[in-house]
Amino acid sequence: MSIALIAAISAAFTWQPGKITVYLAGDSTMSNKAVSARPETGWGMPFNAFFDTTVRVDNKARNGRSTKSFIAEGIWKSITDSLHTGDYVLIQFGHNDEVPTKTTYTPKADYQANLERMIKETRDKGANPVLITPVARRSFDSSGNEKDTHEEYAAIVRQVASAQQVPLIDLDKESMALIQKFGPDDSKLLFNYIKPGENPNYPNGQSDNTHFSELGARKMAEIVLKDIKTLNLELASRIVVSHLGIK
Amino acid sequence: MKKYRFGLLAATGLLALLAFSLPSHKTKVYMIGDSTMCLYGARQFPITGWGMPFADYFDQTVTIDDRAKGGRSTRTFLEENRWRPIADSLQPGDYVIIQFGHNDEAKEPQFAARYTPVPDYKTNLIKFITESRQKNAIPILVTPVSRRNFDKDGNAKETHVEYTQAVFDVGKQYQVPVIDLDAKSRALYQQLGPDRSKLLFMELDSAEHPNYPVGRHDNTHFNEYGARLMAEIVLNEIKAQHLALADKIVHKQTAAH
Repeated sequence: MSIALIAAISAAFTWQPGKITVYLAGDSTMSNKAVSARPETGWGMPFNAFFDTTVRVDNKARNGRSTKSFIAEGIWKSITDSLHTGDYVLIQFGHNDEVPTKTTYTPKADYQANLERMIKETRDKGANPVLITPVARRSFDSSGNEKDTHEEYAAIVRQVASAQQVPLIDLDKESMALIQKFGPDDSKLLFNYIKPGENPNYPNGQSDNTHFSELGARKMAEIVLKDIKTLNLELASRIVVSHLGIK
Repeated sequence: MKKYRFGLLAATGLLALLAFSLPSHKTKVYMIGDSTMCLYGARQFPITGWGMPFADYFDQTVTIDDRAKGGRSTRTFLEENRWRPIADSLQPGDYVIIQFGHNDEAKEPQFAARYTPVPDYKTNLIKFITESRQKNAIPILVTPVSRRNFDKDGNAKETHVEYTQAVFDVGKQYQVPVIDLDAKSRALYQQLGPDRSKLLFMELDSAEHPNYPVGRHDNTHFNEYGARLMAEIVLNEIKAQHLALADKIVHKQTAAH
């Protein structure tokens, strides 16, 4: 009796949330980059630094992939094969789905079906899908207004999230607001803008309005984290607690 | 046939000998300095020392060993026995990149334990240089990277006047290459201006990053972006001064148009 009580009490005090994996499924705006591509940075890279030791972030995002090619190449299956109850799958596609000239082109109906499939297969494993609208490109009109570069495909993500009752992070909209706040000039610092001769990996320089610098990638990851808190996902309870700077 | 076979054997033996006598030691580049250069863990991210991205831009013949440590002056780096193990392990052809000053120059009473007057600072730099050279290693001096400090007219101020001059004096006296990161970094802040230059530093709103729950406003320490821009300055100066180390910086063919 007393042993059982002691066991129960000590279990209560030593109980910790189980370890989980957060899988990131998406494209080059999210993926890990080779050293030879730096300073280009996917927002999944700094995202990794947000959580406590109960969370493993497995960034499966891959350059150039649409929902169609991500599934066709078996990358999606590598996620569902290893999913456990309580895991998360953060899903952000669109950049390569929405371009008709790319081989990865995924018509809207297929894009919707692929997202629905990802949601279902995540839930079948007792894991938690989170939908993310495609992060904005830097694209200003002549009056200095940031344009919506994913209008149709972001709308599909919102519709699917609503219909399937999946938590939605509207990164398209929120990153557009951030890019607008930085403005046409300063926003270049968020993206992989390199002057000729500045960086050994880009001897000719680079003016990339899609892929992020380290700074832009972190700012995008911070938006996603803020929304994880606002949505009050269980994952929010696993954000690292730091005392740096607290006196 | 027999003769041929002997020749083959001899050639094989020669090759084997050659393989064993080839230097197995990769060129090591030691970095000694302070918090602006050092490594940081994930729990401190996004604070980043410029030695971290610097290591990304060398070919496979180089190992970067960043031994810089936050809060250290030349004096405390030596007193804590951080230099001796490096000096002992130096091999001919290795490099030592030296950047101190931020803590040497701290005259405020609370920093008395690290403060190092200019004459001592010079003596310590000379010790790093001569002991590197005794091992046939190659010292490179770097002036202390500038703090972000604008006057009311929007001019970036010099923040290390005496100590940067001391680096130049020692560099000249001992014929050591000097990378003027102080001037080059300040020029970059000036070009970006008082507001944009904040984007290079540890400027975080509260609750922006869970590692810094109360935020941070810091004009000395870099975020991951600023650290990379500082690393680029140093890499480009290594090339501009035609230091031998420049050959080991990754060289990508410029894309054909």
